[in-house]
Amino acid sequence: MSSTTSPLRVERRGSSLNPAFPTKSTFRWLSPGERDALVLSTFIKVLLFPAYRSTDFEVHRNWLAITYSLPMSKWYFDVSLDYPPFFAYFEFLLSLPARIIDRRIVQLSNLNYDSMSVVVYQRSTVILTELVLGAALLRFVRGSVDQSTARVIAVSLFLHPGFLIVDHIHFQYNGFMFGILLWSVLMAREGRHLASGVLFAILLNFKHIYVYLAPAYFVYLLRVFCLSSTGAFLPAHFISLANSVVAVFVTSFGPFILMKNDTGHIGQIFRRLFPFTRGLNHAYWAPNFWALVTALDRVLLKCTYHVRWKGLKVELRVEGVVSTSRGLVGDTVFAVLPNIEPVHTFVLTLLCQGVFLAKLWTTPTYKSFLAALTLCGWSSFMFGWHVHEKAILLVLVPLSLVAAESSAHMRTFMIASVAGIFSLFPLLFTPSESIAKVLYSLIWGSVVFVLISKRVYEFPEGLLAAVLDRVEKAYLMGFTLLQLFVSLYPTIGSRSSPRETLVSVAPQFLGMGSGACSVPFGIFTQPELDMLGDCTPPSPPSPPSSSVETRKGGEMEFLPLMVTSVYCAVGLVWAFLRLSYLYLSHSRKPLVA
Amino acid sequence: MPRRSESPVPSSSRPRGLPLSESALRAAFGVESRKSGKARDPSIASNSTFRSHFGSETDYGDDHAHGALSQTRTSTLYGRRPVEGSMARRWIRWMGGMGLKDWVIPLSIAGALWSRWSVGMGGYSGRGDSPTFGDYEAQRHWMEITLHLPIRQWYFYDLPYWGLDYPPLTAYVSWVCGYVGSTINPDWFMLSTSRGVENPESKSYLRFTVIVLDLLIYIPAVVFFCRRWWKSRSHRTQAIAVLMLLFQPSLILIDHGHFQYNSVMLGLTLWSINLFHMGYDVLGAIVFVLSMGFKQMALYYAPAIFGYLFGKCLYLRDSRGITLFASLAAAGISTVLLLFAPFLQTPFPETILQPIARIFPFARGLFEDKVANFWCASNVLVKWREQEWARGLLPIMALCATLGGILPSTLHILTVSWSSSSERNGEKQSASSQIQSSPESSARRLIPSSIPSPAIALLPYALFNSSLAFFMFSFQVHEKSILLPLLPLTLLASAREDVSVSDARTWEWGLLFNNVATFSMWPLLQRDGQQLQYILLIAFWNYLLGYNPVSMPKSFIKGFSLVVYGIITMLHIGECFVPPPSRYPDLYAVLNVLLCAPVFGVCWLWGMRRQVEVGWAISSLGAPRHKDERSFPARTRTTSGLAPVELREEREISISGLVLRRRQ
Repeated sequence: MSSTTSPLRVERRGSSLNPAFPTKSTFRWLSPGERDALVLSTFIKVLLFPAYRSTDFEVHRNWLAITYSLPMSKWYFDVSLDYPPFFAYFEFLLSLPARIIDRRIVQLSNLNYDSMSVVVYQRSTVILTELVLGAALLRFVRGSVDQSTARVIAVSLFLHPGFLIVDHIHFQYNGFMFGILLWSVLMAREGRHLASGVLFAILLNFKHIYVYLAPAYFVYLLRVFCLSSTGAFLPAHFISLANSVVAVFVTSFGPFILMKNDTGHIGQIFRRLFPFTRGLNHAYWAPNFWALVTALDRVLLKCTYHVRWKGLKVELRVEGVVSTSRGLVGDTVFAVLPNIEPVHTFVLTLLCQGVFLAKLWTTPTYKSFLAALTLCGWSSFMFGWHVHEKAILLVLVPLSLVAAESSAHMRTFMIASVAGIFSLFPLLFTPSESIAKVLYSLIWGSVVFVLISKRVYEFPEGLLAAVLDRVEKAYLMGFTLLQLFVSLYPTIGSRSSPRETLVSVAPQFLGMGSGACSVPFGIFTQPELDMLGDCTPPSPPSPPSSSVETRKGGEMEFLPLMVTSVYCAVGLVWAFLRLSYLYLSHSRKPLVA
Repeated sequence: MPRRSESPVPSSSRPRGLPLSESALRAAFGVESRKSGKARDPSIASNSTFRSHFGSETDYGDDHAHGALSQTRTSTLYGRRPVEGSMARRWIRWMGGMGLKDWVIPLSIAGALWSRWSVGMGGYSGRGDSPTFGDYEAQRHWMEITLHLPIRQWYFYDLPYWGLDYPPLTAYVSWVCGYVGSTINPDWFMLSTSRGVENPESKSYLRFTVIVLDLLIYIPAVVFFCRRWWKSRSHRTQAIAVLMLLFQPSLILIDHGHFQYNSVMLGLTLWSINLFHMGYDVLGAIVFVLSMGFKQMALYYAPAIFGYLFGKCLYLRDSRGITLFASLAAAGISTVLLLFAPFLQTPFPETILQPIARIFPFARGLFEDKVANFWCASNVLVKWREQEWARGLLPIMALCATLGGILPSTLHILTVSWSSSSERNGEKQSASSQIQSSPESSARRLIPSSIPSPAIALLPYALFNSSLAFFMFSFQVHEKSILLPLLPLTLLASAREDVSVSDARTWEWGLLFNNVATFSMWPLLQRDGQQLQYILLIAFWNYLLGYNPVSMPKSFIKGFSLVVYGIITMLHIGECFVPPPSRYPDLYAVLNVLLCAPVFGVCWLWGMRRQVEVGWAISSLGAPRHKDERSFPARTRTTSGLAPVELREEREISISGLVLRRRQ
């Protein structure tokens, strides 16, 4: 495997190609300010050790146990491992010190083990591996032209509420992964394209969700690295890139390919990695295009009800109606709109990405690459199948890097960050973490937005811009109301429950009651339960009132989540359009030098 | 109160050396050093180079450009800006550079709130420790009983199970908290069925009440104090003081970790100090009575407050002094009466006597838990509670020892008040000979009681000394009571005083005392499951303030601190790896006491010394001054100052040479 040595070689060449970014400076010791940021972030993150942990914590502990105690051939046949092989190796490495610290951490049967030792150990590994992100950010700052803005962006990323919520409370290793991604992006900035490509391939083998970004990498590297500036094909470059990427994948999957004892090992891995059997939306709708479509379906359903009242007939799918009444659990089946298949989302995503990639092909600069990367991830997030709300980090992190380009970028960044971070809030639902996340995000947002907007702010020119400015501000202000609604809703709901029990004799009245109860809450004026009462004739006999009640309770319980999802989706779709416009309308001259 | 601008000597000709350190003077005023900074003569300006090396923190150049000063600073630092000493200072400077100066205080408060809340995610007193639980359950239980029982039963209900034993204001506040909480979920505070309720929601609610009270009382008091007391210092110094006070580990750990409402009591006391500083003595006295009415522990402060207020009456001397005394007495007594008024019910004497008996539990013995005071520490040698001869004597001994501890500082503040008053009168008599001072002295006569007496500068020292004396010697002390002496010392230390090369070292002593005090509560925090937060908060706070005892200039406090920290580290490491012998299961707790009690004793002695020094400064400033500088021997910057500074300068040169070479 001669190609494994090639990254080194080309790295050296890359650095000589681009002297504007001295690499030596990266290894300078930390300045006091950088040390402060590190201390502050460690303080904050360690303080969150005792905070709530999601099931992901146990999942990761279980992976430690699996990789430690099972032979490699059985890793992917156990129930839970659904990350690519590098992550499995990574867990294996982590399990070695864990064995020394507390033997019980790596015991397979020791389910839901939550002693102090395992909490401290696993949480510390998140903090320590996140230093990869820290190192990448250091490199980012020291290689930047405008260091003081870069510093703001770097600190904002290192202390990003998204990482805090997803990694340090909920529990995942995103900081580490994004560190690799950022490192790869920086390699691209410094003109070391081969290293960039290799790092990205490595990243893909840690967590396959980054495949969302792969098209941008593919086009950019093909255009910049494999073609000369005149457009001539450079076979040597292409082969070295292809070899290195293949080598990375071979290192990752090779051991599993070589295993003879099991047939279809690779197939098993891929079945674990790409579960297409799940629904369009995740349990809690990720705030994307489909959330809006689903919401539209709910609204249409309700309109249909009113129309039918006047004697009109509209086709309804019963399973769709039932699906809506199940709230957010299970598959999404539309009642009115045509159903969405995986292939639809796939085509839509690729089409959307294609537009940006075409633009990237014509303007293959670093800034353009950054924007295309962001938009690529964003398209996948917007139109992808079964997108998880945590995937918004794929948008927010690269977007941060272009936040200080102009006032318009800043505004886009602001809307996307607020909506994106807010959409992560439902991950934490326990009372004390809820307050912590809101307060922290407020502090972070006020500092970061004020700091960046001070550098790039422009007064909106023209009527349209002024109106947009107002509308966007109103939208951002709306999050206060949304947060109030979300936090006050449970108490309101529990208050109004006795009255509903009283009228629950007749389903129609129940529907009316619930509608009246939720009138102030925007477009979801009425959960679709009234439809259940009205259009059940073809479906099983009308359910006893007690089951209606429980379903209704479940429905109402999900209302804040639906509202959150839809409200955030509006902002994210708008910010997506904004950035697309900004990117595509920048003809000829690349995005600010 | 003598201000510099009013003093008969023009500030430009202010003597270079005063018999006391400059910081003592500033402390004596509580005020005014920027003015002198502006008019500083060149000889002092050259001295300022020492200062900028000395602690690498100079405040004078912060907000106003002082030509000579800033020039000398940059020139002596080889064209480089001084290395900013602490994270707090760097952050505030950076915020200023970003144009966000006005955000510093709000952000500090928000950060402090967030840290408090996050500390609250950890354990608390008596968590899951059925059936007795701990302080958390006590506070919750009080909300429950005040909510459901008539007032006359509050101090009688089921006393063995966390019967109410705090003064009435705590009971009223508990009632409010219980009332609000029961509108959210009545189950949290149902009478007797809610015992031991600790679900996440109710826990969050209780934590939230502490934070809200903190935000309403303590935090505004701190900000106000820093703005008012350090008015003459730069905004940056004030902001650092706010940060230092808000992130003080001990208070956060006890209130938001262990779970108590000390910040209400401390905040009220701090408000009374603020009010005294503004000249509102009666209002301040009322607030202080409220502080005692919230938690009887504030009595530790009472001698100092009494000393200041009575001293003020003496200072005013004539009929105004008597008027003030009468109004203070009337206000204090009526506040107490008002607080206890709801208990004036049938059966009459019992309803009012019971709270008092509950508040002062003399029957509970000399000390209960391990606490780092004189009695508990000496208990290793003399088993006080087992001595036949001492049995009945112990309360009296404790009383005498406490009195012996508090009297000197109280008497001192009284004497200083009295003597500064007599000096003022002497000045008035000699006013006819000094033309420019006559309008001022007449003006001073016209503003009788609306400005604080000069002894206000002594007040924090007196508060520290008297509360620490109580802690060391009185009856029934809890380890948490160390928070009381901590507050005034931290207030004093909050504006770092190494602007002048003084031997005061209040900052160093303040940090040492803080760290040791937090360490003294380690056994308690360990039981509460707050170990992680303990380590984190201490480390972060010290880093935030740029505290590094190793790099301190040579002095007694440096050696002392290093020894103390060395022992603390050894004790912590030992506890981790060496289990105590079965014969002495409490070995580490006892060692903790044996370390902390002497340190507190030394701090107390230092505090007394400082109080006396500052008292001298006040007296000498109040005295009529002569223009002759010869009468002030220039000996201030001697003992700890010069030699180390020169050494440091040499090192600085070599270091910068090294840096330069490396850069080339």
